[in-house]
Amino acid sequence: MTSVVATNQTILVVGGGISGMTAALEAAETGKQVVLVERNPYLGGRTVQLYRYFPKMCHPTCGLEINLRRLKANPRIQVLTMAEVTGITGGKGNYSVSLKLKPRFVNENCTACGDCAQAVQTEIDDAYNYNLTKVKAAFLPSIFAYPQRYVIDPSIVGGAEGEAAKAACKYNAVDLTMKEETVTLNAGAIVWATGWKPYDAEKIVYYGYDRFPNVVTNVEFERMADPRGPTGGKILRPSDGKEAKNVAFIQCAGSRDENHLRHCSRFCCMGSLKQTHYVQEAFGDEGKSTIYYIDIRAIDRFEDFYQKVKANPNVSFVKSKVARITQDKDGNPVCNGVNTEGYLRYATAHDLVVLAVGMEPEVKGVSIPAEVMSDSSGFVMADPANAGIFGAGCATNALDVNRAVQSATAAALRAIQVVNKVARAEG
Amino acid sequence: MAEMKTAAYLCKGCEIDKRVNVAALAKIATKEGKMALVREHDFLCSADGVALIQNDIDNEGVTHVALGACSRRAKTEAFNFPTVALSRGNLREGVIWIRPDTPDAQETTQEMAEDYVRMMCAEVKTMQVPAGNQKTGTIKTILVVGGGVSGMTAALEASKAGYKVVLIEKAAALGGWAAKLHKRVPTREPFKSPEDNGVADMAARIDADANIKVYLNATIAKTSGSPGRFKIDIAIESGSVVTEDVGAIIQATGFTLYDANKLPHLGYGKSPNVVDQAGLEALAKEAAASGKPICRPSDGQPVKSVVFVQCAGQRDASGEHLQYCSGYCCNVSIKQATYFKDSNPDIDTVVLFTDLRTPGNGEDFYRSAQNRGVIFSKGVVSEVTANGNTCTVQFKDLILNEDTAAEADLVVLATGSVPTSGPELEALADAKRAAESGTEETKNVVLQMMDKSVLNLDYRQGPDIPHFKHGFNDSHFICFPYETRRTGIYAAGPVRRPMDILQAQEDATGAAMKAIQAVENAGLGKAAHPRAGDLSFPTARLEGCTQCKRCTVECPFGAIDEDEKRFPLFNESRCRRCGTCMGACPVRVISFENYSVNTVGMQIKAVDMPDEFSEKPRILILACENDAYPALDMAGMNRNAYDPFVRVIPVRCLGSVNTIWITDALNSGYDGVMLMGCKHGDEYQCHFVKGSELGRYRMSKVYDTLKGMNLEIDRLMDMEVAITDMDTLPGKINAYAEQIKAMGPSPFKGL
Amino acid sequence: MSNLNEQMADRYKNNFLKEIEEQAEMGEWVKMCMQCGLCSGSCPTHFHSGWDHPPQEIFMLIRAGKREEVLNSQGMYMCTSCYNCYVRCPRKVPVTHVMHGIAEYAYRIGRAPKAQPTLHLSKTFWTNATKYGRVNEVQLTQSLYFKDGIGSGIKKAMEMQKEALGLVMAGRLNPMEALGMGHKCKDVSGIHKMLAKAEELEAKNKAAKADTAGKE
Repeated sequence: MTSVVATNQTILVVGGGISGMTAALEAAETGKQVVLVERNPYLGGRTVQLYRYFPKMCHPTCGLEINLRRLKANPRIQVLTMAEVTGITGGKGNYSVSLKLKPRFVNENCTACGDCAQAVQTEIDDAYNYNLTKVKAAFLPSIFAYPQRYVIDPSIVGGAEGEAAKAACKYNAVDLTMKEETVTLNAGAIVWATGWKPYDAEKIVYYGYDRFPNVVTNVEFERMADPRGPTGGKILRPSDGKEAKNVAFIQCAGSRDENHLRHCSRFCCMGSLKQTHYVQEAFGDEGKSTIYYIDIRAIDRFEDFYQKVKANPNVSFVKSKVARITQDKDGNPVCNGVNTEGYLRYATAHDLVVLAVGMEPEVKGVSIPAEVMSDSSGFVMADPANAGIFGAGCATNALDVNRAVQSATAAALRAIQVVNKVARAEG
Repeated sequence: MAEMKTAAYLCKGCEIDKRVNVAALAKIATKEGKMALVREHDFLCSADGVALIQNDIDNEGVTHVALGACSRRAKTEAFNFPTVALSRGNLREGVIWIRPDTPDAQETTQEMAEDYVRMMCAEVKTMQVPAGNQKTGTIKTILVVGGGVSGMTAALEASKAGYKVVLIEKAAALGGWAAKLHKRVPTREPFKSPEDNGVADMAARIDADANIKVYLNATIAKTSGSPGRFKIDIAIESGSVVTEDVGAIIQATGFTLYDANKLPHLGYGKSPNVVDQAGLEALAKEAAASGKPICRPSDGQPVKSVVFVQCAGQRDASGEHLQYCSGYCCNVSIKQATYFKDSNPDIDTVVLFTDLRTPGNGEDFYRSAQNRGVIFSKGVVSEVTANGNTCTVQFKDLILNEDTAAEADLVVLATGSVPTSGPELEALADAKRAAESGTEETKNVVLQMMDKSVLNLDYRQGPDIPHFKHGFNDSHFICFPYETRRTGIYAAGPVRRPMDILQAQEDATGAAMKAIQAVENAGLGKAAHPRAGDLSFPTARLEGCTQCKRCTVECPFGAIDEDEKRFPLFNESRCRRCGTCMGACPVRVISFENYSVNTVGMQIKAVDMPDEFSEKPRILILACENDAYPALDMAGMNRNAYDPFVRVIPVRCLGSVNTIWITDALNSGYDGVMLMGCKHGDEYQCHFVKGSELGRYRMSKVYDTLKGMNLEIDRLMDMEVAITDMDTLPGKINAYAEQIKAMGPSPFKGL
Repeated sequence: MSNLNEQMADRYKNNFLKEIEEQAEMGEWVKMCMQCGLCSGSCPTHFHSGWDHPPQEIFMLIRAGKREEVLNSQGMYMCTSCYNCYVRCPRKVPVTHVMHGIAEYAYRIGRAPKAQPTLHLSKTFWTNATKYGRVNEVQLTQSLYFKDGIGSGIKKAMEMQKEALGLVMAGRLNPMEALGMGHKCKDVSGIHKMLAKAEELEAKNKAAKADTAGKE
């Protein structure tokens, strides 16, 4: 059984992405007890699935490494992975939270040696790589995974493959008898940092994401550019493995659109500007990028980054929301539309089209406890009525990483205000 | 302090015992490593293995533990022994996982493992458990500089968490820019209508808050001390100075508008009917107070048409005006357009923009303005001319692709913000140098610059927080937005980065979090980010100090001052434990209890040095523990083999690398040295901002030493490594090893 | 009609947008466009030479006060009501309806070009459909085929002969319609009365609108 030590002075952080980790660490480094709950088997959320960050072109795993070191060094944080909140009762200063913990089928004996994966042949979709590839049914979700422990997929538990994994482990780390658990814990304040999900590109029918293999999303493109990704960092188009040297980026794929997401997702302009660097990096002057946009939203000092990309002769900008994607006989996606600056019609073939899909709250459409107030878009609101539950990061709005961390730091203080009050009341 | 008792534990799990002779390693730990106790275990990280170690600590008096097992990054929960000095020999990721399992490789793999055992034993004997900084300050009051929305938010939030606050505002009232606003951009659904600016309410809450002490008409005359014990001399209205003791500082000094007088081509100064956004707020307030519509200044007639010019003097690639986007101005112009439309829908209201930037729910506000009939046009304004009581705005309509013009009673320029961030420190240092024996004029330059100082820190490295870019008190960290280069001093709001009110309030709350954290940790003698909780701190043997000042100049965080005798004066609470001072010190008098010239130097010496005929070169790798070392680790996890002749030692930062390590290594027969550190320069990735840059600069001097030693300069290799280089790093190491082999053995071998 | 045209030109000299908002059906949506161009790019008839200004550009021209350019434009008559723009518009602007609204307004004030084919179709269809309450397909086709003269009418009819015969064989086309027979609605006079009433109401509405606009 999983045991959790928590009191009404404990801060519960829901979501172990960069926002949740930040909130947890900032609170713990101020001396507070924290329970950090994450649905995935590892921490880091969506940021670790990115290849690089704008505007520095540095690697998300660099900051993750520091955060993990902070976490490992801090005894005040208890991390629960593969866990989801199923209910919240009580109120500010005295919540009772129930969690559902899925079995990992691997215990803390695991040394991450990888023998179980060697013994297993079954492959499953690799969620870490947005299902662009497969992974063994006994797997370490990523090389940066924390906890650094393998996971056995339930599909092989109860079969020969599961037994093979168990037999291969010299350390009795594979435990096929693990069951789903329900845990209830106490908390004084809750930080809700459940993050975002990429908007479902299939819903934008005229872009043919579900019909054309060479139309991909911006998050998938991150995996394609990453040397640890499914193509080993080579930018190859899915249909025929050809190098994608001529790449189109379609902005506002879902965002700023009342048929899809009403809000501007803020990060996607910078994300695409960043991704033009990947094309340049991979192919030099042979790599061509075209950004189709409504407004380039490179806000505040990100403007520098935009100006630099704009000065690159291999990147062109077309003020247009692409109206439709078709496919030519060579399998090239063709962008059709009108450059509204002067009404110039185009039908341009590219090797690959990247849809800059927007951000929607991860929990949209999922039943979240009623205590967590959300607005009409599903973002968590700062509502005085829930004075003990605070949103953080992209659960509250479409934010870039820097702003998400800022938001999470603020949320940590709001939670501390509550537990400090509890502490004062209890003397 | 208790007598040192050493113990080495060698793990045989994860096939370590299959690949290397662990008994031989144990022998080395005993004989060469001189470990008092040496134990082998089949599965050291298991509950049983951990209990074994804990028992030795509890009952055998073991004070120093050397673990030969997996990487120091692995199994940290199991190998958590906070009461003893701990070193780790990386036999798994660093040896067996990066070596092929072939009979040929067996000998060199074994030698590698043996060296790592020697190194971990050598290291642990030079380490001590950090006792914690005794010179702590326990003052928990938070100082907030600036009484605008950011400052007021920081003060209220810190108070709400139970902390006392001193709030200093240079003006006669709280509120800053926000107080001058007629209304603010909406913050809640449905994001349609401007809201009250909220200042009166905040100011009232501050007045009523017993935790918050406010000084109006006040500025900071001097700031001294360090986190937990800052002393603030406050110049108050009467001309006298009062002193407050505080534990941390939030600088929320805001911004001024970019001077529209620099934009004569946009008509500012030529017609009273051309105003900036603040000017329009003033007109709107005036109108609201008098119950009249907004009138044009030239003749007091109600405005019937208004044109907003976005990005006025902003996003200027020529460098003449602001290069950045101020972020908030699109929403502000939209808000101001609603002032007109809500009072009279017939007022022609046009916004000319090149990219309309309304992120997040701003899109709803944008739509609501369109719905009110505000016309948005993508156009570049070339000129605004005045003709009597109206103005003509010449612009290129980018959609209709033509040069055109609009007539308006009033033109509003969105000029953007300039941070109130104090003088740029390098420019100030230059000015000070020029003034040293210079004219009155040069001295006046210094005085003028100092006049702009916000904090007036008495730090050796200058009076304010260093700027990052465009004058903002920001850092370049994406993951850690609050990391300024002055520990315990956090910038918040538009002085840190251009931002709107809502974001400034979020930012100020975050800064209050960091300030509270700073005072709590300062009180416990613990380091701040990124080595949060580290209890070690630098100490100097001043009797050996030559007063060269390198440490005081180089410390990336301005932690070191000079005392009256011109010796370095360490302000431990300002220190971030990067070790740059230790690396800089030419006489090696600076050290940490658990990280010193010795802890690394003894490891370098401990490596067994084969003779020149062995064809077994030795290459020392000093790898940044934040990025390069994890990358090497993950190369191991991927089973990417690399050369068996390298010996890796993690360092806190390239900035902490003392040149003595390089010269000692080369003198003692190493054939090559590789330095692996983070990117430096404008896009720095160093977690200590300047550490890797300073380290590299220092190493560039070593090349002269190499020439003096008659050594090829290629025997020292400086490599920029990112954490993701795990796949390419082995190849680079191998290539360097080949280069070294081709060069032949070091002439110093065996001397 | 041309008199009204002049009145409007005077009244809305600097505010063509307002004129469109008040006079053209769905004209109030013009201001909501954010110039993304999705409608223009989505239009399947864009290849036609008559397509001088697509919707997004017409909207911008209206906002820029370019009355003559808009009223002289062929653009709004080109719409085939495929509704691609309507369903895709990220601002949910009913582009199709707005375009029809503008076309109808231009027609109303006598600015529709002569011999505009879409307009001709529309008028012909209306006359045909309202006559019996149901479309007389043969007569409609005839009037469209022969609009440019006997010669081209016969040529077109010959070209389509096979298709027509096929339709007749399948019972989808009644040749007797050529003689004014074929399907009709049950109460033709009732339909005529309803339409007359609707026209009366609409005229009243428009007059009222023009009236208020005139009072500023």
